[in-house]
Formats: sequence, structure tokens, C-alpha cells
Amino acid sequence: MKFTLSWLSTFVSVDNITPEQLADKLTMLGLEVEAVTPLYQGLDQIITAKVLSVAKHPNADRLTLCQVDTGEETVQIVCGAPNVREGLTTALARPGTRLPDGMKIKKAKVRGEQSLGMLCSARELGLSEDHSGIMELDESLAAGIPLTRALELEDTMIEVDLTPNRPDCASVLGIAREVAGFTGRSLRMPVSAAPPLDSAKADFSVTIEEPSLCPRYAARRLTNVTIAPSPWWLQRQLLAVGMRPINNIVDITNFVMLEYGQPLHAFDFTKIREGKIVVRCPKDDETEFETLDGTSRRLQPDMLMICDSRGPVAVAGVMGGLHSEVTDGTTEVLLESACFDPVSIRRTARRLNLPSEASYRFERGVDPEISPVAMERAVQLMIELAGATVCEGGVDEYPGRREQLTLKLRPARVCSLLGMELSPRQIGDYLESIGFTVTDNGKEGLEVVVPSFRPDVEREVDLVEEIARLVGYNDIPTTMPLIRMDYPVRDELRELRKEVCSVCTGQGFYEAINYSFVDERHLDRMGLDRDDYRRRLTRLLNPLTEEQAVMRSMLLPGLLENVCRNINYQQPDLRLFEVGKVFFQHGKDEQPEERYQLCAVCTGARYPGAAPIYFSGQQADFFDIKGLVTALVESLHLTGKEQALEFVVTKQEQPYVAPATGLSLVDGNNEIARIGQVSDEALRGMGIKQPVYFLECDLQDLGELPRLRKQFVPIPKYPMVKRDIALLVPEQVPAGELLRAVKGQRTELVESVDMFDVYSGKPIEPGMKSVALSVTYRSPKKTLDDVTVDKIHEKIVQYLMTEFGGRYREGTE
Amino acid sequence: MESELNRLREEALSALAEITDSTGLEPFRVRYLGRKGGSLTTVMRKLAEVPKEERPRLGALANSVKKEITSLFEKKKQELADARDAGPAVGNLDRSLPGRYLPVGKLHPVTQVMEEICSIFEGLGFAIAEGPDVETDHYNFEALNIPKHHPARDMHDTFYVSDSILLRTHTSPMQARIMENQEPPLRYIAPGKVYRCDSDITHTPMFVQVEGFLVDRQVSFADLKGVLTSFLRRMFSKDLAVRFRPSFFPFTEPSAEVDIGCVICGGKGCRVCKRTGWIEILGSGLIDPEVMKMVGYDPDEYSGFAFGLGVERIAMLKYGIDDIRLYYENDLRFLSQF
Repeated sequence: MKFTLSWLSTFVSVDNITPEQLADKLTMLGLEVEAVTPLYQGLDQIITAKVLSVAKHPNADRLTLCQVDTGEETVQIVCGAPNVREGLTTALARPGTRLPDGMKIKKAKVRGEQSLGMLCSARELGLSEDHSGIMELDESLAAGIPLTRALELEDTMIEVDLTPNRPDCASVLGIAREVAGFTGRSLRMPVSAAPPLDSAKADFSVTIEEPSLCPRYAARRLTNVTIAPSPWWLQRQLLAVGMRPINNIVDITNFVMLEYGQPLHAFDFTKIREGKIVVRCPKDDETEFETLDGTSRRLQPDMLMICDSRGPVAVAGVMGGLHSEVTDGTTEVLLESACFDPVSIRRTARRLNLPSEASYRFERGVDPEISPVAMERAVQLMIELAGATVCEGGVDEYPGRREQLTLKLRPARVCSLLGMELSPRQIGDYLESIGFTVTDNGKEGLEVVVPSFRPDVEREVDLVEEIARLVGYNDIPTTMPLIRMDYPVRDELRELRKEVCSVCTGQGFYEAINYSFVDERHLDRMGLDRDDYRRRLTRLLNPLTEEQAVMRSMLLPGLLENVCRNINYQQPDLRLFEVGKVFFQHGKDEQPEERYQLCAVCTGARYPGAAPIYFSGQQADFFDIKGLVTALVESLHLTGKEQALEFVVTKQEQPYVAPATGLSLVDGNNEIARIGQVSDEALRGMGIKQPVYFLECDLQDLGELPRLRKQFVPIPKYPMVKRDIALLVPEQVPAGELLRAVKGQRTELVESVDMFDVYSGKPIEPGMKSVALSVTYRSPKKTLDDVTVDKIHEKIVQYLMTEFGGRYREGTE
Repeated sequence: MESELNRLREEALSALAEITDSTGLEPFRVRYLGRKGGSLTTVMRKLAEVPKEERPRLGALANSVKKEITSLFEKKKQELADARDAGPAVGNLDRSLPGRYLPVGKLHPVTQVMEEICSIFEGLGFAIAEGPDVETDHYNFEALNIPKHHPARDMHDTFYVSDSILLRTHTSPMQARIMENQEPPLRYIAPGKVYRCDSDITHTPMFVQVEGFLVDRQVSFADLKGVLTSFLRRMFSKDLAVRFRPSFFPFTEPSAEVDIGCVICGGKGCRVCKRTGWIEILGSGLIDPEVMKMVGYDPDEYSGFAFGLGVERIAMLKYGIDDIRLYYENDLRFLSQF
């Protein structure tokens, strides 16, 4: 909602209030001021000037040499305007002035003749579209006064960002009412009442067939209308708030709409067939309608239309029709001032994609009580500005008349909700300042009559808000609530996510957050089958782009996109992870299953960002991502439900995993996490040319795993004994199996076993590899002697040799 | 003896000048200043042999020479010590080389700020709950007093999955979901991703929001002001300017927009605060009685307040981030800054 200070001051005095103070006060009242713009700012350098004489330019036919009185001196100016003449009072831009379009006026010679400035047209000054000649000002104006003062242009435009609950403030009147409320000044309306209308005397009729959609319809006929441009004062106000002046009749309807918040429509009465107005929905064959912007609109059966005896003439409350539009030749006008159902108007404006100043107001709720008053204001302006004659009689159909709403208000309730003490008297005074009527019924509380222009106030609590607003939110005390102590419940999954994130960052991974909606083609790039469960996608009906059209069902593609982007930005060394939701659609019109997952990727240098002097040349590989899984299991003390968690070769290889690189962390038959190297095809699909290793894990599954209790074990009293084994085993034996085998020996004296070398190649014979293990022995009861250790160690070595077909590499015992 | 003293002085001074590292210091000290057999000591012992009348003058001279050499020696010692500390490359250990450590990663700035918000509210006894991203129209709108065709729906550019299913436009649905299942007193915050089909320089179609609410008997607007003011001052600074002004949300009445004094310019007016000195930081209000009734609470018995804030916006203000699109590109140059 935009208005000017000068306009506002016709409704309420704003003397001694600066525009900034006014803006601040309105903002703090809930009418958030978006902009305070001084108007015609560039024009304070333009002055009035009088043309003393006009002579032909010696060197140009179309130019004249003018002697111009600037109020201080007489100067020569070259002018090309057709209307320049002796005695004309016009606008002068002197050298050094900058025009609104940025042009700077300089002393110049025009075809050899000195010109000390420029006489300006209204368009050159940004005042209107008129460029037919230089401005013709009132002759009584003296020369040399600033144009802004001469035309009374000193003004400020204020724009308020209205919240949807305040339809009353979509008008100068509404803003003025608030200003009157906080200043205590009186509200004055140009027209505050309308004469009763006698429909019997009217020579047209109005029938409302849909009374529920049209609570009130008032109309009057005017004749002898002369269509002409509006006077400057009216054009100026419309221009200042961003509306284009059209002609006096249309401008008046717009002007009064902005003043009173009541949209008006003027029909060319001669186009209303049989003088009949019918408010109804379209008939079956009425499917198309041409609005006054010249566009053909498709009508729906439930759109409310204004019709004449034959068919639609306007989309009610949204836009008039081309056929009945007021044109230059119009001499008779039917002026409509009506009230329509907000929901119906909103739906129609949306479906026609036709938001208008009128629909903006109807959607929010127009005060039906104001309809005849606004119409009377427009009628008077049409008489004054268009020479119109108003016909006797008129129509005011009011099927939706409602009792004034009376609310009970408990002062104690006000005080307890606001947290401050207010007397019933204070409460009453606040409400009355903005047009509510309050009666104090003592113990019964207050009785408040809600004015019709406040449809948003329907309940006691709405009155509480009005009081809070008028007290001023910042004058309400600031306290802390008293509330019973309690232990907030914890969301286990959230706690788990925090733990997982902390392990990942501890391992050098950066957290990424990607959009939840993705490109469906991601799944093709991952090579997923048509019937893969991750193809059960939740689709958006109105995505912004195809790249954001479905809810993601896996996190990996998003991270691969991040990898690609970072490589393009010359950052090929990455450790990234994301913890986020994936979505699986099970049934139509159901909420999808949402699951939290963890995905991590690493690529490039093993330790991105680490000092290359120590770590150069180390590239990330499979074991870096496997290490992350181990770190998670260890840090979170995870274990299986019945047995320890273990790594196994992935049974069902995912299509986006490079051959023979998939490994799963399993609890019995349940896969908990999956790691591997991303396949070349998938990488190619995502535009990546370097190996990437990934981890995928469902956090809900992870969260269901038991955690090992933290249980203290006494620190051993006796020393340990270490024995190394170096075995040659056939190359196809997984080296990790040797570790498992030793651990599986269940000898209570074996404390731990580590692998410290795996080697094949010379001098080892082809087909074999050397695996070196270190076994730690310790007894909780005594210091172990060599004989005991040797015995067990020998047993283990023998077992490994028979089990894996190995033999000693060399005696390291 | 006088000439001997002078000669010794000359000799010692030039010897001192030639010392370039600390290893030369000790031999010098022993040679010239040593108590046993140091040259000066030896010369000074001879004082006993000089004629009585010469003794005071020569004694003073000897003392001044000793004092001079001692002080220059100490100065040299200090110089060498300083030089050693300043020059890390001197010696076998080049201490100028970088430390060796395994780099750690970092949480996304949005997560960091969200965790900070959560922990402030947890400190006030709020519990944390999360709801589905894909919500029903009922919880996202209807249960929050936003019927179909209400103009307030204009404030939420909604992504739809079907007529009745949508991507939540705020995390406020948790308010209704929790109140439906629990009795007051309640203190909850609901963090999470929310979605609006709006994408430009100042909007991403997905962002992170924290919704919070508190319900009990006798909860007032003053309490809302207290809790939010203390939260904001924790988050930004203890003397932060905070103001409340009326606004409109269908699920609160009265509703309040909360502004903080611009943390970029300190309230003087800048681009970020559009020269107003104030920055809009969160929306709030007393929970509308309609919302209470829909979950079966008696609004005359219970009251409460609710609020919602955008995490990215707070992160922008805290860290001075000026382009919202950076949040979801996951550029390492961005992620590694926080």
C-alpha cells in the first residue's frame, strides 16, 4: 500500500511529524513501512521563468531565441518547443541542473547562439507523459521560485507492507485512522455519508443471483460525462503511488479506491444491454470472456461474473470487460461499488493469473459499510471533474447485511496474556482511539463493538492484540516464564547423528548439505535398475527445475556432484560427508518413508590440506573409507545383536560400485554399512575422472545396534611378550583371514594380534605372498616364561600353516 | 701496569668481537674473566705490588676495565641468545617447518549455528523434536489455522507432492503434532529443513528453520519477550538491541516480528539493514486459541508462545556471509572457513 503525505493530510493532520517519525510509528503499530521516498527530488533546482520575448533563431528554422526572466536576471535561451510564446510562464533548468533522466544542463551554443539553460516539458521533468511542448504554468506565478514549491510538489511517498489481516489499511482512510488513533487528532473524510438510494427511481436494475458471493452491490448512473485527462492534482497522486493516469473517469475510480479501500468500476452504460446488471456465475456456454486488457480469459463455472441481460460484462472484483470499458467517446457511466466474497475473488484471480488492485482488496475483505460512501465520493468527483450529471435514484442491494459484532473482553484476561497491569479504562481508551465502541459492564467485563472495517477482529484475543499494538510491544514488560522444572526428552536419532558427525569430522571429513530434491537422472547415472527400491520416488508437482524434481532416495549422487564441482574449482583432494534424509514413496497420496542416512566420500590426496612436506604422494584409497567405518564402530562402541560386527564381501554388488571393491559391515545377515570404490561408469556420469571411495550407511539401522557397555577391566599386572610370525601363503588367501584365525584361537593368553606387513614380489616366489603378524601374549596371573609362550605360539603357527597352506618365510622368532 | 691493562682491554675487546656463536663464550670468560688464571684477575693481583700512591688510580682503572669487559661480554651473550631464538634454521632442527597433524573436518556452518541455537534452548529446558520434511496439508496449514484460500498461504510458496501432501514450508507443524500427543507444560524446539518454491539472490528453495514453543498456564507476551530477548543476546551479544513489533501470522495472536540492532553496522545504517539500523530476525507470537482448540487444549486454561527463525540468516549475520547460494554448493573453500 502506497500513499503520499499530502494525500494522508487531507484525512488527518500530520503537522509537526516528520516522514521518518511517521514511518517509525506505523512500523511499530504493525504497518511495516517498506520505503519512505521523497518525491520529485531532482526538481528542486528547476525554477519558474517567464518568457519575455521570442525571436527567430538566425541559423535554424525550428528554433527560437527567447529572452527569459529567471527572477534574478534576463537570460537568452534557445528553445524548439512549438508552444513557446511571449508571456508564457514555464519551467527552466539552469546550467548545472541535472534532470530526472540524468541529463546535465550546460551553458551551450546552439547553432552559434548562446543558450543559458533549457525550458522543459512535463515529460522531461518526469511529471507526466506530456511532451507536446514546454510546461505551461499558472501565469500568476512569479519567476524564480522552485518548481516543487510552485506546483506544491514537496511531498513524500510512503509504502507499507501490509499483512493479510489488515484490509482496512489498504486505503488512505485506514492509515489515517491509525494516525488519528496515536496522535489523538481528528479524522476528517472528504465524504463521510451517502444519501439513501431509491431503486424505484433508477432506470437500471441489479439482480444478485449469488447473494453469498456478493454481500452488497451499489450502483448509480451518470450522464453528460466528458472524458478528458484528469487535472494535475489527481494525476500527481496516482503517479506518486505508481498508477498510470488514464482518463478522468477511470482515474476517479482508482483514486477513490486508494482513498477508501473500496474498488469501484465504471461501465459505459450504453454497453449494458437493457440496463440490467445480473451478478451470477457463467452459464454453460459462457466459457470465454475478453477482459479490458484485450486478453481472452477462460471462465470456470464457479467464477462470479457481472453480467447484463445477455452475458458477462466483467469478472466480478477482478477486472472489467473490454466491451463495456469506458472510452473517449463515453458519455454515460454506470458506477459500481460492490462487495464480493474474499475466497471466491481470490480463487478467480489466481486461476486467471490476474492479480489486480481490486482483487488485492476484495481478497482481504472490503468493508461493506463503506460501499455507498465511496460511491458518493466518486460521484461528486465525476460531477466536478467530468461535468457529469448524476441520475436520480440508484441501487443498493445489501443481501449480506450483518449485525455489528459485539465481543466480550475480560480485562483480567488482557492483563494475564500481556503480562502487565492495565485498567479497564485504559483498555477502553486504547480501543476507542481506533474506532471500536466500548462499554464497561463492571464485573461482566467490557463489551466491545467491532467496526465493520475490521473484519479481522472476531474474537477476544484479537482485541488483545489490538491493545498490545496500541500499548506498544516495546512498552510491554520483559519477563522470564515460571515453569516447572523438567528433564527434556532426548531424540536418540539426533544424538546418534551428532556422534556420527563428530567421528566424521574427527577423521578429516567436511560436512556437506545438499538439497533434498534432486534430478531423477541421478539414478540412471548410478545405474540403478528400473525396479530398484530407490526408484520409489516422491515427485514434486511444481518443481522449480528438472534438476530439483524428485526427493532424493540416496545421498551419494549429491556428494559426487560436490566432488565434481570442487575438482572444477581446482580442489581435487576431498573428504566430504553428509547426514541427511532420503525418501521412499510407498503409496500414492501418502507421506513417504523418511530415513536418515550417512554418506561419505574421499578422493585425491589422503589427507587434504595436510602439510605436503610430510604427506605428499599419499593418495586416498579403499582403506581410508574402511578406516572411517572402523572409527565409527570403535567410537560408538557398536556391536552386533548376537555377535560382533564384521566386514564381509558385499553379496549383492551395487551397480555403481567398481567390480570386486564392495565391502559390507554386517550384523549377521543385516548389512549396516556399505563401502567401495565408485564405478567408472558412475563417475563418468557425474563428470569425475579420479577414483572416489564411498561409504553409505542407514542411521536408523545403525541406531538399532547394541552398544558395548563401558566396563572397566583391571590394568594388567604382568608384562606382555610379543612374538612375530612371517608366513608365506598363497596369494589368493585374504590376509585378514589370518588375523581372524589367530583371534579365533581363543587362547586366553593371546591378548592381541596385529598385521604389520603384507608383501609379494621378489624375492618371494610367484603365487605366494608374505604376511607378517605380531602376536601379544600376556597372562593375568603371572609373568609368562618363554617355554609357555613358545608352546602356544608354535601351536598357532602350525594351525595357520595347515589352515592356509602356508610355510615359514624366515625364522623371526 | 697501566699499559698492560690497556693492552689487555684492546685484546679482550677484539677477541669478543670475533665470537660468532655461543660456543666461543665460555673460553673467553675463562681466559679473561676467570677467577683462577683469568688475565684480568692476574693483572689485578699485581695491584698489591704497585706503589701505594698509584694504587687508587690504577685500582679504579683496573675496575673500570673489568666492568667494561664484563658488561660487553654479557651484552654479547644476550645478543647470541637472541640470535639463536630468532633464527630457527640455525642448528640441526629447523623449527620453522610446519607442524605435522592429521587435519580434522568441520561441520557445515548451518549445522554449527543450528547446534548453537539448540544448545541455548536446551539450556533453558527445551526439548528437541523433529518431524517429517514431507508433510500433510493438515499439519502444515490447517492445524495452524491457515485454511485453504487464506491469503496467508501467499506467504508460503509451497512445493506440492499431491493435493494433500507437500514439502513443509516451516517446522511449525511439529507444534500441532506434539501438542496433540502431550499435555502442558511443554517446551520444545523443532529444527529442520523447510522448502519454498522461491529461488533468487536472497532465497534458496530449501533452508533450515528452528521453530520453538512453550505452553503452560499463565504464559504471557512478556514471557515471550523475555525468552526471545535472552536467546538473541546469548546468540549475538549481551548488549544487543532487540525490538518487537506487531505482525501477522495465522497461528499466533498477538503476533510479533523481532528485530535486532544491525550487527554489521551497529545500528548506524548499512546495506544489510537497508539503512534502518534494524534486522528482522524472527517471527513469534502467543499461540492462537484456534490452534489450541484444534489440539484439544482449553485456551482459557493454557497459553503459550511460539517462534520461528531462519538458521541461514543467523549464520549470515554471525559470519558475514553475503551470498545465500554458497550454503548448498559445498565448495571446500567455503566449508573450511568456519
